[in-house]
Amino acid sequence: MKTVFLLALLIGFAGTLAGAHFAPALKHERLPSNTTVVSNGGRAEKFMIRLPADRIAATDGEAGGLRAKGADGVMIMPAQFVAEPLLIEHFKVRDSGGAVIGVAARHWNGTGAEATTTWSVLIPSRGALVLSSRGETRAALDSALRSRGYSAGKEWAGTVTLPMTGDGEGVVAAGTGEFENLLGTYRETWSVAAVDEDGKVSGTIELSTVTSRLQ
Amino acid sequence: MRYLFVAILGLVLGVAGAGAALYYNPLAERSAPMPGSTDRKLHYSLPDQVLEFAIGEDARLFGQETGDDSLWEETIDRAGVLGLVLNDGSNQPAALASRLLSASPDTDLLLNGVLVSDDWLVTIPGEGSFYVHADSNAWPFLKEQLVPVWYLDQPWTGPVEYWPTVGPGADDSAEVVGLTGSFRGSEGSAVEHYEITALDPARNVAQANGELYLNLPGPQVAAQ
Repeated sequence: MKTVFLLALLIGFAGTLAGAHFAPALKHERLPSNTTVVSNGGRAEKFMIRLPADRIAATDGEAGGLRAKGADGVMIMPAQFVAEPLLIEHFKVRDSGGAVIGVAARHWNGTGAEATTTWSVLIPSRGALVLSSRGETRAALDSALRSRGYSAGKEWAGTVTLPMTGDGEGVVAAGTGEFENLLGTYRETWSVAAVDEDGKVSGTIELSTVTSRLQ
Repeated sequence: MRYLFVAILGLVLGVAGAGAALYYNPLAERSAPMPGSTDRKLHYSLPDQVLEFAIGEDARLFGQETGDDSLWEETIDRAGVLGLVLNDGSNQPAALASRLLSASPDTDLLLNGVLVSDDWLVTIPGEGSFYVHADSNAWPFLKEQLVPVWYLDQPWTGPVEYWPTVGPGADDSAEVVGLTGSFRGSEGSAVEHYEITALDPARNVAQANGELYLNLPGPQVAAQ
């Protein structure tokens, strides 16, 4: 009797500790990575953002233009920052097959000697990827749309494709998890197909990365 | 029959003992060392300085509504996106931060606690942007505050403070990478501290003041 009691006690105690140690309860759902091998041995992967569906929020500063005013989720900045050339945007991120796999923050900062763009892309099951580049000029998207006939308050449809990485491409600046110790470059391209009368932009943002492992 | 009863009793006591051991487990309560006196401090208050908070449906600690823009997809339903204003020492807005949060796969109640991966992207106008990668241990807050007060209706005794940062740096601090402007090329560390100033489930109120202590020396590699 005593042996049975002690054995059961031990099993209960050890089993609970083992469960606490090995339980996979917090593992994130993972989809296969849509990567391809490029000719120099690196790895290419595209991330997509579909507008307006994947926009979570954007700051309401003057620098945001259509990207701020047409958004549903508005981040109301402190008065000190409203006139500053700053734009913070939050998105959901998709793989090249169109499935949502993560979330991202984009910071455009025009307050320094040159405008800069930084991205933090978090794919919970894989890690975080941090990108940095020279930024686009202020209100670049608004200017490109106006040059194709868009005017505020009116619906517009057409095609505008706009590279948003100054100098052609930016760099992979940091990474965690699967993206740790990766070197590489990226290109950011916005393709806009329509703008509604409220200024809501429909289109896609494509982040094309080429990375290789730091030796 | 008696053997079965004794076995079940032993099993229940074993589970209870292990539960108590996990609850008081000191291994799950480590934290980063205190920040140095020269570290730069950026601070925030919740919820006053929240620009935006989107959270996954399975990550709602306070049982809050996720709204129309919730992170409902199963790949991100244990993640969150938090936009914050950070103040400087004179309590003026100095920076904007985006925090991308997700339950960490390194969560282990036996050895590490309940870990949250906390990726900060911070922009200080006129200075530049930097990235902070932190592992934060939510277990002390969960077991001492949230579960007893929010879910078990026990009275709240506060304020109470926490130092949640537990890595991934060698000294258990967060890792910082300078990205643009005057931060470009620099690397350093950071530690977060927060104080819960109100927690009242009846009024649906949770308030806190947080600080990010930043140790970010100049660039490690001279510009070419």
